[in-house]
Amino acid sequence: MRRRRLWKRGLMYLVLALFAVIYIYPFLLDVGTAFKTDADATAHPLSPVPSHWVLAAFSELGQQDFPRWLMNSVIVAVFVTAGRVLFDSMAGYALARLRFRGRGALFSAIIAVMAVPGVVLLIPTFLILKQLGVYNTYPGLVLPLLTDAAGVFIMRQFFLSVHPSIEEAARIDGAGIFRTYWSVVLPMARPALLTLTILSFQGSWNNFSMVLVAHQSPSLDTLTTGVGRLVSGQLGAGTQYPLQLAAAMAMTVPVAIVFFVFQKYIMRTGEGAVKE
Amino acid sequence: MIPARRGRSAARRREAAAGWLMSAPVIVVLVVFLVAPILMAAWVSISDWTGIGSPFSSGVHNVGLANYKALLSTSGLPQQQLGESLRNNLYYVILVVPLQTALALGLALIVSRKRLAGRGFFRTAYYFPSITSSVAVSILFLYIFGTTGVVNALISNVGLHGPNWFNDPDGILHLLLSGLGVTHAPSALADHGFLGQPWWEWLAGPSVAMIAIIALAIWTTSGTFMLIFLPAIYAIPADLEEAATMDGANAWQRFRSVTLPMLRPTLFLVLTLGLISTWQVFDQIYLMSQGNPAGTTLTPAYLAYVTSFGNQQWGQGAAIAFILFAIIVVLTIAQRLIISDRRDTA
Amino acid sequence: MKRKTALTALTALTAGLVTLTTACSSSNGFSSGTSPSATQRAKASKTPLTLMFGSSGTAETNAVQAAAKAFTKQSGIGVQVIPASNLTQQVAQGFAGGQPPDLFYLDPLTFQSYAKDGVLDAYPASLPNASGFSPALQQAFTYQSTFTCDPKDASTLALYINTADWAAAGLGAPPANWSQLQADAKKLTTGGRVGLVIDQTHSGMDEFFYQNGGTVLDGDQVQLDSPQDVQALTFLKSMLTQGIMKLPSQLNAGFSGQAFGENKAAMDIIGNWENGELQTDYPNVKFKVYPLPTGPSGTRATLSFTNCWGVPKQSKNLAGAIDFVKFLTGAQQEMTFAKAFGVIPSLETAQTQYTQTFPQYATFVQELSYAHPDIAIAGATQALGAFDSALAQLASGNPATILKTAQTNLQAVVNQDK
Repeated sequence: MRRRRLWKRGLMYLVLALFAVIYIYPFLLDVGTAFKTDADATAHPLSPVPSHWVLAAFSELGQQDFPRWLMNSVIVAVFVTAGRVLFDSMAGYALARLRFRGRGALFSAIIAVMAVPGVVLLIPTFLILKQLGVYNTYPGLVLPLLTDAAGVFIMRQFFLSVHPSIEEAARIDGAGIFRTYWSVVLPMARPALLTLTILSFQGSWNNFSMVLVAHQSPSLDTLTTGVGRLVSGQLGAGTQYPLQLAAAMAMTVPVAIVFFVFQKYIMRTGEGAVKE
Repeated sequence: MIPARRGRSAARRREAAAGWLMSAPVIVVLVVFLVAPILMAAWVSISDWTGIGSPFSSGVHNVGLANYKALLSTSGLPQQQLGESLRNNLYYVILVVPLQTALALGLALIVSRKRLAGRGFFRTAYYFPSITSSVAVSILFLYIFGTTGVVNALISNVGLHGPNWFNDPDGILHLLLSGLGVTHAPSALADHGFLGQPWWEWLAGPSVAMIAIIALAIWTTSGTFMLIFLPAIYAIPADLEEAATMDGANAWQRFRSVTLPMLRPTLFLVLTLGLISTWQVFDQIYLMSQGNPAGTTLTPAYLAYVTSFGNQQWGQGAAIAFILFAIIVVLTIAQRLIISDRRDTA
Repeated sequence: MKRKTALTALTALTAGLVTLTTACSSSNGFSSGTSPSATQRAKASKTPLTLMFGSSGTAETNAVQAAAKAFTKQSGIGVQVIPASNLTQQVAQGFAGGQPPDLFYLDPLTFQSYAKDGVLDAYPASLPNASGFSPALQQAFTYQSTFTCDPKDASTLALYINTADWAAAGLGAPPANWSQLQADAKKLTTGGRVGLVIDQTHSGMDEFFYQNGGTVLDGDQVQLDSPQDVQALTFLKSMLTQGIMKLPSQLNAGFSGQAFGENKAAMDIIGNWENGELQTDYPNVKFKVYPLPTGPSGTRATLSFTNCWGVPKQSKNLAGAIDFVKFLTGAQQEMTFAKAFGVIPSLETAQTQYTQTFPQYATFVQELSYAHPDIAIAGATQALGAFDSALAQLASGNPATILKTAQTNLQAVVNQDK
């Protein structure tokens, strides 16, 4: 019986390991191939270790506008994340805790918004940005993403779980509505805010299609559209894999760092109170 | 009495004002960047705007449903391409949603077992692809499925010759059928069709190129859905499982009668999210294939973009976007009706 | 969180957003594309110009950037050079967004659409060299008898042969007709290298239709499904089936020139823009250029390609843009481009100079006399895109079906334009 158990456990770990390889190996290949020559990348696709370590891909990447793309990605991510954290939590609190006529209708509207597919908004967003005169400008990159319905939903969900007695206590002490929110309730929302921060950062850093339709000048390219140029269309560098993979690696590193630093929170929101 | 009542209503009014004020930024952004654009695009879809100047200028006329007719009822290239894109996206959805859901659930079940060494490592590994951008993953998969890439190298290690993935337009159903000896379309299927595509083409299955993109989708999103399943799995009371074990149920029976029913709401959520996102696939098509080979990776989202920005047929492009919107709404409602669970209505 | 710091942060964020919005908000709304006033045309301001183009390779990109720098030095007007990853799409987005580039490569096909929409400035008449261009090139960019756009250069398709491979196979004179082409390709297909590569689009294959006595467009009638055209495409397919010819996607190359440069193919049918590409990226390849083989009945035919310098009416520095075109269409600058990436100048005087400087490329200029311009029907982008997608699958496709479908789609476009 025990032998059967062991065999079963062994099989389970084998499956886990196999999938771990499938999910991780491409990234190892990415890092390794970034240091290969073009010929090496084509000849030895399975090995993440270069035959000769070269920095050619990175120097070529440096000749592209990489620093500019990085700066633009940071600008967009910072403003969008700040905006979402600020505005989504305010709206979430209002929907959860403040009583006003039309609150139910507003909440239903926000749920309906979540159902609108992002892709359907590509052409419309282009049109409205043009109409407002912010097409091909930094505000144009940021404004359409400044709030999102899912974030409001998450914050409202959290605020619903806060015990009303805390706010009542603050009110009795004479605090106004906003003061109660800002100084008493919001600090308690740290885990939810952190989740929102991470999701917003990720969403804006990785956004491609919205950035694509919001600008045309190369000086506004973010990492996604800038690197995207290296891949598709006429400038698509055929089989220059090391260059493309180096770019992919470079644009993933910041998100990976954020992920690893905050992963406790990401994982925890997914799992509740479980003993490791 | 009266001062108190007045005091209470004044407080109420303050609360209402605060409520609207705090919701204001979200409302503004939603109205300006969701409602207004959709209305504008609706106008463009019934107009003959050519992309020059404003869509509201005097030179732009209302052409009624002409754009929609060209796409849905008039036989010609626009209808053909819409039909093609719908077929491709349909197969993409049919393959990606069940596979990613099953994979996510399977991984979640294993990763949530008691006494698992390296749980954190495995969880991180499976979730990591989800945090990367579509651009980075597209680059990875262009390399992995290239003619001299990882997949073909693995296939050749087994002695076979891998296909030229991104240039192979053969539908896999057609390939299967030709393996069984059916190489030509029976005339009933070839002569009649829907939306400009003969039924034989509707039954082609996803192309070999599309398979590579399907693999990408499953690889990228299964981790996210795994994270959604985990808390639901942990929420299943342990004594339910123990009771089932004591009744003599084996692992599979326990899964079917205890785990699965308790996971129904989450399963429903994952399926809905999967449906909505798979009908919108755009980035990967733009970056990897641009609809090629032979239009077998064309999707409605990409078709709408290229029709507007590439061919300058803005009215038609907007119409395609609305047709796609309608499809997604209908499917979501249909799914709700079919798999609705009264227990989980909020 | 301290109240003061929170408030400060909130104020800062709002202030930042407001500043960005007001500072960066450029043109408001859409512009209507009205004609420039006389004063706007007369003075060239110092407003920088944007030049957008589709590059054939590193050689062309470098040459265009050098020309831009030279112009800036001469005139003091800054130029931002933008190599496009998808020129048509990006220019279209520019027009729709009200900010088209001040100068862009415009091909005869897209020219028809923009000329019809009335967004191009018809500047050629105002420049002194208006009558110096090749008549055929001028014709391609004339809309309703107005010469609307200066052609920048011309290219024709010719046969590139890798001389090392040729000598190794013991071959003598270049192929004079289709059967010799086939025989030579067979002999050159050896050791993982294929005999011939051609581009997998209509711009890479239509010349065979003409060589076989067929045509593409006759007045108002598209003739793609004629027996001559089907026969020609079937000939190409048979070479694919025999394995003596391959398309670039089958060779893991982006276009035929890349496959030729990497010696994955010994012969290539491509235009003279390949010269610059070979010079810069593949300097070790030894090659010679010959006229295309004739069809079975001895018909000589090839395709000609050209682009013009498109200038939009709504350019913010219209006079500056026109000055830039004047600079770029000077005989000296045209010869510089020719030397850099091998295109034939559009000015007739420069063409003579070209033949004298590059006797080995005289073929291209000679071919101009029997070259047919590439298809240019307004609004045909989608139909031609579908045609190209089908041609890319020629190895497994049915020539008659491919041509019949393209015929139907293109005829629909022509009928719409009438």
